[in-house]
Amino acid sequence: MNLDFETIRPSLPYIMEGIPTTLKVVAVAAVIGFILGILLSILKISRIKPLNWIADFYTSIFRGTPLVLQLMLIYFGSPQILGIQIEAFQAAFLAFGLNSAAYISEIIRGGILAVDKGQREAALALGVPYSSMMLNIILPQAIKNILPSLVNELISLTKESAVVTIIGLGDIMRRSYIVGGETYKFFEPILFAGLIYYVMVMVLTILGKVIERRMRRSD
Amino acid sequence: MIKIDKLKKNYGKLEVLKGISTEIGQGEVLAIIGPSGSGKSTFLRCINMLETPTDGQIWFKDQIITEKKTNIMKVRENVGMVFQHFHLFPHKTVLENLTYAPMKVKKLSKAEAVNQARELLKKVGLADKESSYPNRLSGGQKQRVAIARALAMNPEVMLFDEPTSALDPEMVKEVLDVMKSLAHTGMTMLIVTHEMGFAKEVADRVLFLDEGLLVEESAPEEFFSNPKSQRAKDFLEKVL
Repeated sequence: MNLDFETIRPSLPYIMEGIPTTLKVVAVAAVIGFILGILLSILKISRIKPLNWIADFYTSIFRGTPLVLQLMLIYFGSPQILGIQIEAFQAAFLAFGLNSAAYISEIIRGGILAVDKGQREAALALGVPYSSMMLNIILPQAIKNILPSLVNELISLTKESAVVTIIGLGDIMRRSYIVGGETYKFFEPILFAGLIYYVMVMVLTILGKVIERRMRRSD
Repeated sequence: MIKIDKLKKNYGKLEVLKGISTEIGQGEVLAIIGPSGSGKSTFLRCINMLETPTDGQIWFKDQIITEKKTNIMKVRENVGMVFQHFHLFPHKTVLENLTYAPMKVKKLSKAEAVNQARELLKKVGLADKESSYPNRLSGGQKQRVAIARALAMNPEVMLFDEPTSALDPEMVKEVLDVMKSLAHTGMTMLIVTHEMGFAKEVADRVLFLDEGLLVEESAPEEFFSNPKSQRAKDFLEKVL
């Protein structure tokens, strides 16, 4: 195997400039996914059946079709749906956010159901209203238990964000591919992109462990 | 203070409560006893509507709490409850367990809530535990915190659902002592319990439930020395 990083060395900064793009997509999508995921999970555990159906239908759509297809539908379909061509960034935020909300809502639903039923009763017996009970008593305990799964979801999101290449966003993946096209050397730049993704995932893993340790201080 | 009229509760076809009526006066201490499966806990849990009665009515002061239009959350502010398994909030410190509901529900300022919480912790003998998390406490300590948490809402009635059943034997006394001193302050208390000695000593009246019916209702001296019904006699023979 003969690796030649000399040829692409001038292009390495160009590839690294894709990091903010990737991080931006991941961060915004994670926030959308988390907030929408909480709302969906609350619909899923509601006693009102139609609310369960809506949330389950939502999840089935976003889990039942490929993410890359959802991204393309949103980006290329926006002129026909909204009457305007949305920007690639907006399409990426939406597609990744809506998609990960489906997965996160399932994770949170499981977390809520795993919280001891007595917690709910104790809060109710004290006269605490439903919304406060959920926000202050149930969700903090649920999220503590599902933190590893949430970190996992964030890691998936980071790696899958490479799909935005397809709608022309200049992320790490697309830039390394462009460098490959220009130098006729694909192996090295893509290997370099792989290294960046790996480091980012490692940072997330360590961060997750730190947060987990902090949340376990009440044990 | 509380009036219960023909209270019924079914779970599907299973009749747990088959029409129970009684009245509880201000400051009265009631011991609710009976074999397991007799409906004692369900009866208690109907009084703050943790269980929705199938039929019958419950008055709390001049309000019919079993009616749909009653704001049950408002009623619950005045009815404290202590559970067999404590149900402290594990992610909050002891002090936060005591201040959370008063601040959230009664809109007390933090300073007021903390002052009051410290006062209560002193009363239950746990002043030094305010910054501990529940998992660091023994069962008896947890239950005393749970009692203090319920008292922090300044309730007019306290419901106890087998408060010592999940405790190691050597911790039962510390919890019963707290309850005893609470009874001496004139608190209205309904206690589902298997502690016959405690019931005899502290209760003003004993309710004996069996198979969803209120079989016997009398003063403890009378109930324990001279039970009227055969079922109460059989029960007492087994537990005493």
